[in-house]
Amino acid sequence: MAGLYPLAPFLALAGGFLLAACQWLILVYAPTEATLGLPQKIFYLHLPLAWWGLFSFFLVFIASGAYLASRKRFWDVLAGAAAEIGLALAALALISGAIWAKTSWGLWWTWDARLTTTLVMCFIYAGYLVVRGMDMQPDRRARIAAVLGIVAFLDVPLVFFSARLWSYIHPPSISLEPEMKHTLVACIASFALLWLGLLLFRWRLAQDAINLEETTKERLMRRE
Amino acid sequence: MNSYEWILYAGIAVWSGLGLYLALLAHKQAGLSRRIKQLARLMEDER
Repeated sequence: MAGLYPLAPFLALAGGFLLAACQWLILVYAPTEATLGLPQKIFYLHLPLAWWGLFSFFLVFIASGAYLASRKRFWDVLAGAAAEIGLALAALALISGAIWAKTSWGLWWTWDARLTTTLVMCFIYAGYLVVRGMDMQPDRRARIAAVLGIVAFLDVPLVFFSARLWSYIHPPSISLEPEMKHTLVACIASFALLWLGLLLFRWRLAQDAINLEETTKERLMRRE
Repeated sequence: MNSYEWILYAGIAVWSGLGLYLALLAHKQAGLSRRIKQLARLMEDER
C-alpha cells in the first residue's frame, strides 16, 4: 500500500478527468432509453457510485477479518479508510437515485426494499465510523471495529439482492444497448481509478495520524 | 423542469459531493501537517 501511495494523485486526477470525459459519452454517445427517457442517463453515475460503495464495504469485511486473524494495524487502517469512502459513495448513490426517482416515479423517496436496505446500510457504516472515532485504547477499538465491520457486512448482500427479491419499484436490471454498455463500463472504470486514488489518500492520512499519536505518546513517556 | 435539468442537478449533486469529500480530506491533511510540524519543533527544542 505504501508503495502504491505515490500513484494516488495520478490515479485520482486520471479518474477525475476520465469521469469528465464520460460526461460526453453519457450525454452524446449513449442513446436515450426508449421507456425511461433522458433521466435514465443519471444511471451512468448512480450505478458506479453504488457498486464502488458496496465494494468498499466488502473491503471493510475482508480487512476486518484479516485484522482479527493477524492483529496487524495495516488491516484496521485499511478497513477504516474503505468504510469512509464507501459511506461517501453510498450516500451519493442515494442522492443521485432520489433525483432520478423524482423524475421517473414522481417522488424523492419511497420505502422500497432497495432504498430502505441502502439507507440502513448507510446508518450502520456511519455508526461504524462513530465507533472508530471513540476515545479508547487503540487495540481494543480496532478489535471492536473489526467485529462490527464483519457484522455490518450482513446488510450488503441484502442491498444487492433486495431489488430482485422484494423490490416493488426499483428495477432489478435495465436492458442496455451496446453503446449504453460501453458508456457504463467507461464510467465504472473511471470511478475505479478515482476510488483507488481516494482509498490511498485516506489510508495514508489515517496512517500518518497513528504515527503522530504514537510519537506524541513516546515523547510524553520519555519526559516522565 | 425538463429532463436535461434533472440530469444537470444529478451531476451537480455527485460532483459537489465528491468535491466536498475531497475538501474534507484536504482539511484533515492540513490539520495533521500542522500538528506534525508542531511536534517536530517541540522535539527540536527539547534537544
